[in-house]
Amino acid sequence: MINAIEIKNLNKNYQDFQLKDVSFKVPKGSIVGFIGENGAGKTTTIKAMLNLVKRDGGTIELLGMDTLTDEKKIKESVGVVMDGCNFHDNLKTGDISKMLASIYKNWNAQLFQHYLKEFKLPENKIIKEFSRGMKMKLQIAVALSHEPKLLILDEATSGLDPIVREEILDVFMEFIQDEEHSILISSHITSDLDKIADYIVFIHQGEILLDEEKETLLSQMGVLKCSEEDFRKLESNEYIRYRKNQFSFEVLVKEKAAIRKKYPEAVIDGITIEEIMLFYVRGQK
Amino acid sequence: MKGLILKDLLNLKSTFKMLGVMMVFFAVVFLPQGNGFIFGMIILMFAMMVVTTISYDDLAKWDAYALTMPVTRKEMVLSKYLVMVILNTLGAVLSLAVGIVGSIIMGKSFDLEILAIVGVIYLVALIFGSVIIPLIYKFGTEKARLLLVLCALIPTALILLVEQLGVSLPTIGNPWIYLIALIGFSVVGVVLSYLISVKIYSEKEF
Repeated sequence: MINAIEIKNLNKNYQDFQLKDVSFKVPKGSIVGFIGENGAGKTTTIKAMLNLVKRDGGTIELLGMDTLTDEKKIKESVGVVMDGCNFHDNLKTGDISKMLASIYKNWNAQLFQHYLKEFKLPENKIIKEFSRGMKMKLQIAVALSHEPKLLILDEATSGLDPIVREEILDVFMEFIQDEEHSILISSHITSDLDKIADYIVFIHQGEILLDEEKETLLSQMGVLKCSEEDFRKLESNEYIRYRKNQFSFEVLVKEKAAIRKKYPEAVIDGITIEEIMLFYVRGQK
Repeated sequence: MKGLILKDLLNLKSTFKMLGVMMVFFAVVFLPQGNGFIFGMIILMFAMMVVTTISYDDLAKWDAYALTMPVTRKEMVLSKYLVMVILNTLGAVLSLAVGIVGSIIMGKSFDLEILAIVGVIYLVALIFGSVIIPLIYKFGTEKARLLLVLCALIPTALILLVEQLGVSLPTIGNPWIYLIALIGFSVVGVVLSYLISVKIYSEKEF
């Protein structure tokens, strides 16, 4: 097994929305950031991976096994965190541990205790009294405590303050130290992905627009700031998208090194994932 | 699957406590009057709890999350039916206990009629659960509650109509026939209801 996740030509049709031939991989040992605006298809893709929705076509392999035939076996080794807390208000952490011990074969109660301590989650309070940050930390502690090989995180850091987010990112970094482990993290807080992702997969209106190593993206792409006149000189294959503002043009270029060579006087800035996203969604071709 | 059942029972912990207080209250009020109504009360209160567990699940968006765990959709449904049977049985046992303790306190011998009442209500509660669980899976808890009221009204209306028209029901001398028919009817009902629920639940998208 080289890929923890391998999706090929995933299709899903809703009345007003489609996933169109979504294909991407999560190589073993890596963190893949799955980005896109709200409603772009991130959650639908993740739900299809987990068989929460029925797909209309395509194959999905998790941990080298087909999700339709080996569902139960796969789910023993996958930890999932969704947007929000899915445990009932009146439970305490001890109740959750008891209950999950008879759901997961390799539930590790000691490990769970360890994470509860690390996250400073109280044992004597019911979940209703937890803050949003505490609830998300609880979900993450649960996702890690059955010793999974793959973590699937759907907006696990959204709505959290920067301190809690960093605390959580640290735990993910610790998890990924083991080469057998992999993470797929969907988020629209792209600064988190700037920090931890190895690959970026960008989905827009149900289609994958971009699937690339993060370092390659950030080192190659750039933003060229120029006048309209200069912009007209560019060949169409030299840029990906452009945005016009009042006084100038901002152009997302594929190879900033090549552009620099060709137009030595040009001003080209580096780029963040957020800017790439904005260019793709709001820019013009 | 044990974990799923445990989850429901843990969730009902506070409800159990409240119910305990209510039970004592009803027992004190109604038992001295020799009123059999309390036995039905207790069982039905327990029978309603399976609906409560499903609304709790909805609130927490539990089902979608649970299905990311090594739990099949069949097991999700089966666990609900087992919870229903456990709760109903608990209700029946408790109402029998109330009946026995009541008889002792009142200095009467235990009336076999109580056993019959409890047994019949127990079976009716199972049928009630078998009707509502598939309705909930299909329409959600809120709509299902309304539909259940309809389900209760239609047979009642029919019975009233039959009575109004003065049709005489055939009388069978042996009450055992009624009992066996009722047992058969509930068993078939529960099994059929489970199969329908599994069918609905496997088609569901989250």
